[in-house]
Amino acid sequence: MSVVTLFSIVLTLGIYMLARVLAVRFPSPLTTPVFLSTAAIIFVLVGSGISYEEYTPAKEMMTYLLGPATVALAVPLYRNRYVLWQKAVPAFLGMIAGTLATIASAVWLTKAFHLTTTTAASAAVKSVTTPVAIEVARIIGGDPALSAIFVMVAGMFGAMFGPWLLTAMKVTDPFSRGLSMGTTAHGIGTAQIVNEGSLQGAVSGAAMGFAAILTSVILPWFFPLLK
Amino acid sequence: MRNGCLFIAQLGFLWLIYQLGQLLSESFHLPVPGNVLGMIILFLLLSFNIVKINWVEKGALFLNKHLSFFFVPIAVGLMTYTSLLKESGLALAVILFGSSIIGMALTGGVSQFLSARQIQREKGEDAGERRHSI
Repeated sequence: MSVVTLFSIVLTLGIYMLARVLAVRFPSPLTTPVFLSTAAIIFVLVGSGISYEEYTPAKEMMTYLLGPATVALAVPLYRNRYVLWQKAVPAFLGMIAGTLATIASAVWLTKAFHLTTTTAASAAVKSVTTPVAIEVARIIGGDPALSAIFVMVAGMFGAMFGPWLLTAMKVTDPFSRGLSMGTTAHGIGTAQIVNEGSLQGAVSGAAMGFAAILTSVILPWFFPLLK
Repeated sequence: MRNGCLFIAQLGFLWLIYQLGQLLSESFHLPVPGNVLGMIILFLLLSFNIVKINWVEKGALFLNKHLSFFFVPIAVGLMTYTSLLKESGLALAVILFGSSIIGMALTGGVSQFLSARQIQREKGEDAGERRHSI
């Protein structure tokens, strides 16, 4: 392992642990661990002249467990299975309404700013988890790399402001809060809301999965209607 | 020591299920990514009592708690897109944030409204049944 890789790993772990402490002591959208850690790491990397290419080997090692970590969401899902089953109808209709509204508003806003159709297609997939987003983007004529960035930004925004916005919009029901985060901010939103409660985390994880399936099924015919 | 080994074994087991999800997703070209498919597989294994919850619980709860961590190194990749940010950052922010807010409001709002109605209806039915039994 090179010195830069070792430094990158120690830096990332250290900043993440510090960010978690700060998030507890000074709760605010700006101290959301995923945002604060990312910003601080970019700052240090740029300051010490390390490029993203040099950081990549460390990234590969550290994200090795992202897949298993997503699989692990089955545990809160299993623990809360009765509530989920009971509320299947409100959840399903909520997810459909939210998914269609997010897609339509993303496409229309892109058109309002006179950006390209490629940008619109890339923005349409931004609420779902990356592997699905890049596939669907390719099908509807978007740019997979641009989609991956939009997915990241949407997730980050959801994690930072989602819980706060939901409270402001008087969505206080823990079930609906989790559903909303998973549907619009995929894994990053789920990672944030799981710390609010096991039910929220379970619903969010399930919603992330359903939103991915829903989006990949409806977008190929829904997107041409919006253009 | 024994706890540590158990913990590693649980992570290993979750990793295996993830690989299974990946394999199925890729070989059948499913619209579901491998990680989500893995989550569904583990959920089914738990529901049908094939896997006991305490086989995976410790490792899973640890990963749940630190799920954010795994997104950090990926998000650091945003550092390579500063030119895009300068070019059309404001427009993109309005598009991405605006549509996210609309989606959040509708998902949460519709679900909360329908859940409340469902609860009320169930209460109504309970009261009705009680009247009958009297």
